[in-house]
Formats: sequence, structure tokens, C-alpha cells
Amino acid sequence: MKKPAQASKPQPPRLADKLLEWFCAPHLLEELQGDLHEEFYYQLERVGEKRARLRYVWDVLGFIRPFAMKCTSSTYSSSPLLHVSMFQSYLTIALRTLWRSKGYTSLNIAGLSVAFCICTFLFLTVHFQLSFDSFHQGKDRIFQTYFFKNEPEGANWSDNMPMPLTPALKASYPEVQGATRVLYSGHSSISYKGKRVDKNVVLTDPDFLRLFSFPMLKGHPENALRDLSSIIISEKLAGVIFGKEDPIGKVLQLGSEGKQKGYMVSGVIADPPENSTLRYDAVIRIENAGNYLSTQNQWDAFFMQTYIKLAPGVDKAAFENKLKPFADQYLAEEFSRLKNKGARPDKAGDLFAIRLVNLSDVHFGPTGNKASLYQLVCLAFVILLIACFNFTNLSMARCFTRAREVGVRKTLGARKGQLFVQIWGEAILLCLAGFIAGLLLTYVLTPGFNTFFGAHLTLQYMWQPGVILLLLTLFVGVALIAGGYPALFMSKFNPVEVLKGKVSLKRPGILRNSLIVMQFAMSALLACCTVIALQQEQYLRSMPTGFEKEQVISIPVGNKADGRQVLARLRNRLAGDPTVISITGSDVNLGYGKDGVSSRSAFSFTYNGREVSTDWLLVDYNYLKTLSIPLLAGREFNPAIPTDSVNRVIITQSMADMLGEGEPVGKIIRDDNNPEAKGNEVIGVIADFHLYGATSKLHPITMHMSHHEPINYIFVRITPQSLQGAISRLQGAWKQAAPGTEFLGSFVDENVDAMYEDQKRFSHLLTLASGIAVLLSCAGLFAIALLVIEQRTKEIGIRKVLGANVSSIILVLSKEFVKLVLISLSIAIPVAWWLMQEWLANFPYQIAISGWVFAGVGAAALLVALLTISVHSIKAALANPVKALRQE
Amino acid sequence: MKRTYLGEFEEIVLLTVILLEGNAYGVAITHEIIEQTGRSVRLNQVHAALHRLEEKGMVYSKMGESTAERGGRRKRLFTITAYGEQTLLDIQAVRSQFLQLLPRPLKPLTSL
Repeated sequence: MKKPAQASKPQPPRLADKLLEWFCAPHLLEELQGDLHEEFYYQLERVGEKRARLRYVWDVLGFIRPFAMKCTSSTYSSSPLLHVSMFQSYLTIALRTLWRSKGYTSLNIAGLSVAFCICTFLFLTVHFQLSFDSFHQGKDRIFQTYFFKNEPEGANWSDNMPMPLTPALKASYPEVQGATRVLYSGHSSISYKGKRVDKNVVLTDPDFLRLFSFPMLKGHPENALRDLSSIIISEKLAGVIFGKEDPIGKVLQLGSEGKQKGYMVSGVIADPPENSTLRYDAVIRIENAGNYLSTQNQWDAFFMQTYIKLAPGVDKAAFENKLKPFADQYLAEEFSRLKNKGARPDKAGDLFAIRLVNLSDVHFGPTGNKASLYQLVCLAFVILLIACFNFTNLSMARCFTRAREVGVRKTLGARKGQLFVQIWGEAILLCLAGFIAGLLLTYVLTPGFNTFFGAHLTLQYMWQPGVILLLLTLFVGVALIAGGYPALFMSKFNPVEVLKGKVSLKRPGILRNSLIVMQFAMSALLACCTVIALQQEQYLRSMPTGFEKEQVISIPVGNKADGRQVLARLRNRLAGDPTVISITGSDVNLGYGKDGVSSRSAFSFTYNGREVSTDWLLVDYNYLKTLSIPLLAGREFNPAIPTDSVNRVIITQSMADMLGEGEPVGKIIRDDNNPEAKGNEVIGVIADFHLYGATSKLHPITMHMSHHEPINYIFVRITPQSLQGAISRLQGAWKQAAPGTEFLGSFVDENVDAMYEDQKRFSHLLTLASGIAVLLSCAGLFAIALLVIEQRTKEIGIRKVLGANVSSIILVLSKEFVKLVLISLSIAIPVAWWLMQEWLANFPYQIAISGWVFAGVGAAALLVALLTISVHSIKAALANPVKALRQE
Repeated sequence: MKRTYLGEFEEIVLLTVILLEGNAYGVAITHEIIEQTGRSVRLNQVHAALHRLEEKGMVYSKMGESTAERGGRRKRLFTITAYGEQTLLDIQAVRSQFLQLLPRPLKPLTSL
């Protein structure tokens, strides 16, 4: 039989005891707890354990009264935490200490101000981008329409709408409260009494003024666009043309010489804010468009934007669904065009659809790509983090030099809270100085930033509640976290140990080291990313395009003139020019030209059972000659053979491979599903070339000469000797060949370079960020090294006395920091490798990340760190040991 | 007349301190009051009263010897001060003065 365990003496409830110990003043605890325990055992005898325990708890709770609590009954004097005179004293002391250690102070302020400045810029940029079009009232109900097309070469979005779409939408759907077309006609000349200006005139519907909230300064939004010959001008334009005169009722002449038309000013509208997608100098009715009569019922000419405002409570997705029958009815041709090209519906079952994009997202395009904004936010935080680490590290390092002050203050009766407030206050003071300096820096650097990044930031954006709140949060966050920890740490010092001088020997600073490691890891990470991004950009630029891009000028024809006619006139005009080698035309530009348009036409079919997809490129005679694309087999289009312009094609090598024909010349390409169609005869094979730059994969190309399709671009090859002034000579010829249109010619090599603008921006940004990160980290290391070496002055002195030479002392001093840098590199390199691998996966043509990048960045980081430390370590090593050892 | 700042409960606690001369501490005082008056008194009330009395200077305290039954914790032993005694006397004097001046003696309530 088991013996029952000997019942130990019942104890008072532990939880209640703990509670008592927690709230009770230390000097009262002994007697109170004693009394309570005595009472407990007394009650135990009297009423039994259960009730005694209950009573105990009840009694403990009864002691939660002011007299027994800590706060009011301290053994120390009970001075308030913050007293005005104490505050003044703190301020004086703070200013004195900060002034005494000018190096530390200025380093801190400089680091913080740079970080704040960068963050302000980046946040302002993000805020600016996100605030686009947010000033319109009822913006949640305003949408832009766009076409979704699941083309064979991939899904495609376009916001170019046909003319009759808007009135049809308004007529078919009662929930469309307002709809307006917006057509940018480029710069038109406006003249008044001999004054002439070229301004951006927008053609639109009267609903424009009801949909958008651009304030009307003069005139009434309801009737300002009632007349076909009314014009509303912007405030700025009114100032330029009329000065102080009242513009209302005055007649402006619009259009080029000889084709002018008079418009009466019916209103003045505010200038569009910088964050408006819609830009205008003047607004007129769309019926005034040159091609209005021919296009007003034409559903297959896409060239304007459409904005609609839905009734409250109408769901966007539901309305998009309701638009499906509408698209079937009016845009059937698009469906059949896509089907003929071999396009298939996407997963949602849409081959072609009219969709809506919220006004606030119009700026980011239909797919709303905001990834680059998040990149900016990330960079801002990394820089801020590095600055915070610097700040914390410097404050922690200074703890030891100020430990005595803390000790003395404590012996004189300063309490923890008071010390915390004092030290933290100093941190806030520093932070504030950095913050203000950062804002000043932002103010000074704004123009530079704007030109460098092509931004439109003005400091007015800062005076918005959202931005102010964000900046203040940033400031408070930095002051709280970066300044709070050292203050907490210092206020916990034990006065006895501190005054004995023990603190500086304890713990070399795990926190400090890990912060340095993280700083350097982030800097090295950014540096690696920068190098790789630059290499990739360089690689893309240097990739052979397959054609000679030098000495070729590309001229967009624009939609006002007929490309074929212009090309013919230009050929005639330049026939005798010895500097012109050849001229040709196409429907697709090479690279990214001044008109900013990029288009693509592709088509897919089945050939002998093979799925074939190819770019469908319209060319003119001499295309291959103009672009120096080598012919591999067959011949080029020949003006002497008139049948070349019908059903004859030239294909690229990869197209021949895709067709599976070893000898494609003379073969007829025909879609298996459409055997009755007259196929296209292959007359030549050329080497592959990149029509759309190296950011997209090399695609097979089929060239044709069909006269049904318009020529949009004209290419002119000139002799290398005549590069100087070639553009202006061409401009002269252009004026006569295509009168009334703008000359937007540019060199093709520049256009091709412009295709890599995104990559360039990304690597620019990374360069800037990593530069600042490295600079900040070095500044931090510089200060830390100084403080560490100061603490080791005696050690160095003893080492020297015992016979150490200068180099060995430098080695000893540098060893610790080198270790830290090595650790941070071992963290940064794998992360950088992984990140950049992900980034490079976006490109069809990518560099292989070479180990030399990491080796180089690592070596550079070590070198920079060593150089930074060496300033102090060499000084310390060369110092006279007698001085170091005599220091008292 | 000078006012003495002594509440009724404080007066009882003060009297108990004299009663338990030399062994007046929280628990003992509480039990004594319960015994003498039959009131339900709680420990925290007694401690609060003792705290106030000490602040007023009517008792003083010192820590006693440690005792086993309290887990080795010491007691705080209270002793009345001369000022405390004088205060009690003053109260007594005021009361008896009033009782003498009453036009008729107080009659105790006799139960039916």
C-alpha cells in the first residue's frame, strides 16, 4: 500500500503573494506580508484552508491602496519627473555636451539629415504618384475605358477608343451618368491679334467639365462648351495671351496658316495640377476634330480616350459584364480580326472586352503596375534604417564616456525616469536638428532631384496633412527607437559600478557589433545589386540588334499625313542628295522614338501541322539596305517586280526554323485551317534581328509590302560624313514633303537606347541609394572606431612599451572590424545573389552573375572599412605611449 | 478650542496600541479590536490607520524580532507617543466636559 505523501504545510495562494510583492512598496513589504501570512495561518486553524485562502486573496486586494503602493511612498525624495527648472538644466547640459563633442554631433546630424532628406524625396515621389487624379470629386465613380485583347503574342491593353463609342455608351446604359471623349491633337497654334503660341489643345465633349473637377474661374461649366465654336482656356494661357484683359467673348484663331478657324472664349479653367493625368492649355469641342465627319461612325479607328462616370452604387465588375453584348454588337470586327490572327480567349473566356480602370489608377496604366513605387519605399526604409543604426550605435558608444555623469547623478538622487528623460531628450534634440537639416537639404536639392529623375516635385506637396503626418511619424519613430534604447540602457547603470569605472570593461557591445554588421550587410547588398544592375543594363545596350542602328534617322509620320505619299515625296526630294544612302518605310518604329508610340502587330497560324507565331511587319523597298540586315537566301523586294507587293514575304531565319523548312525560298505559307486563302510566297530569308530591343525575346518576323496597311515611320540612312546637320537638312525636306505636320525625327541608335530607360532609371536609383548607404555606414564606422580606440588608449600604450611595433598595433585594432565586415559580407552576398537572380529572371537575355562581382564588392567594402578605421588606428599607433599611460 | 485630528477608528486603534503595550502590530491589533468591539475589521484598514497615526506623530514604530510563524519576517511594533497620549486625554476631556454640561444624564436604551 502506498503511503500518502506527507501533506506539506499549506501555503498562502502564490498568485496573490506575487501580486502583493509587485505592487507593495519595498519598505512595507516585509511587515505587510508577515502580517498577512500570520493572519492566513490563524484563519487556517479557524475556518479551514479553502476559506483561509479566499480570505487571503481578499486581504491582499484590500491593500491595493495608495499608502501601500510604491509610487507614493518612496524612500527617496519625491520630486516630480519633469520640473521646469530641471528641464532648463537638462537643456543646458545637453547643449553643452553636444557642443563639447562637435565631431560626434555633426556626424550624427549629417547622417540623420541625409537619411531624412532621401526619405522625404522618396516618400514625396511615392505620395505624388499615388495622389494622381485624386483631386476629382466622385473619383471612385469615374473610369477610363480600355480594350483588353488577348492577342496571339500575349494579352494587350489599349485605351485608344473609336469615336462613336462614347455616345453609344451614353445611349445604351442609363447608369452612365456622364461620358466624355478626350483627344489630344498635339500642339496647335493659337493666335490672337498677331500674337501666336503653340499650345496643347484638347478636344472633348461638354461632359468633360461635369466629370472632372477642374475649377472654372470664369464662365459656367454647364454651358461653357455648349457651342461648337467655344473654347475654354487655361489660366496660364489666358495670362500669356490676354494679360490682364478679360478673355471672355474674345475670338482666338486656331490652326495653321490658311486653315484657321475662329473660336470664342467662353470660360477660363484652372491649370491642371501636376498630379493630373489630363493635361491641357485649351479645351474645344471634339466635333472640331479634322477627321470628325469621317470617323464619327467609324468603329475601327482607335485614337481617343473615353472617360465615364457611373451612377452611385454601380459595381465596376458587374458593369464590365454588361458591356459584353455591347462589344459583340459594335466591335464584331475586332473579334473576327483577332480570330483570324489565331488569338484564343484567355482563362476568363475573354478574347476581346471593354473594361474599366479607376480614375486613380489611370496613371499607372490598365494593369496598375506600382512595383517601382514599392521599390522606392523599400529603399527609403533601408536608408533610414542604416541612419537609425548609426544613431543608436553612436549613442551607445557614448554611453561609456558619459557613464560617470550618470553615476554622479544617481548618487545625487536622480531617479531612473529622470535620467531616461534627460538622455532621451538629448537624442530627440539631435534628431530634431537632423530632421530640420534634412528638410532644409530637401529644399535646397529639390531642383537637382527633379532634373536628375525627371520628377515634378514641388515643396508644396509637403504641406499636406498626409505628408506632414508621415514625416512626423518618421521623426518620432526614429527618436523613439534609435534614441530610446541608449537612454534606457544608460539609465539602468548601477552607480557604484559606474563610478568604479567597471562598465566600460563589461560587454564589448553585442548590440553595437550586430548593428554594424547589419549596416554593412545592407550597404554591401545594395552595392552588389547596383553592380549587377549596371552590368545587365550595359549588356542589354551592347547586345547586337541584328541591324545597323548607326546613321539611320527615324521619322514618325503621325496621323495627319499619309505615310505612303510622304515617303514618295521624300524619295523624290532626296533622290539627288549625295548624303542620303537609302530611304524606306515601315509600320513599326525601331526603338522608342520622340512620338513615344510603340505598336506591335503579330499573327499566328498552323503550317503543316506546326503552330507558328510571327511578327507581321510592313516594310517598303530598301528596308534591308537601309538597316543593313544581311540577306541569307533569296532576294529583297524589288520595285521592278510589281507582284512583290502582293502575297510575297521575306522571313527571318528563326521564322524559317519555326516553319521547319530548310529551303524556304519559293515555299508558299498558308494557314492549314484556311486552305482557300492565297498563301504568301517566301522570296527571301534574312538574319534575325531585334525589332523590340533586347528586353523582349527574339521573335520570328515576316515582312510584307501590302499596300493596304499604312506606313507610320520613315527611315533614312545617311553617310557617316554627313551626320552633322543631317537632322536639320531632313527637317527642311520634311516641311515640303509633309507640310503641316511636326518633324519628330531622331537617330535610331538613340531610340534603341531609349528603350532601356526603365533599366537606366533603376540602376541610377540603386547607384544613388547604395552610395548613400555606404557613406552613412562608413560615417558610423568612423565614429565607432574613434570611440573604441579612445577606450583602448592605455592598452595601446602598454603594448608599445612592451615592444609592439606600429603595424602590429594597427593589425590588432583593425582585426575586430575586419571580422565584422566579413560577417556582413557573408550575409549580404547570398541575399544579393538571390535577389538579383530573381530580377534577372525578368529578362529574356541576362548576364550570368559572376563571382567576381561579389569578390570585388567584398574587397572594396573591406578596403573602405580599413581606410575608415586607419585614420584613427594609425594615429593611435603612432602616439607616444608615455602620454597614453600618463593619462589620468 | 484646538482640534485634534483623530477619527473614531483611529482612536480605537490608538487605544488598542496602548492595550497591547510592547506587542502591538497589525495582526494582533486587528484581533484585539475584533475581540473587544465585535466589529469586522480588516487588516488593511488597521494598517492604513496605523500609517496615518504614524504620519500624525501619535505612534512610532520599530521593527521587532523575526518570528518563525511569519516565515522569518519581522513585525513592525507600534508604541504610542506622548503626543498620542495627550490627544487621547484631550478627547476624553472634551467629552467629559460635554457630559457634565448636559441638562439631563444620558439614558441607556433598555431593551423591551
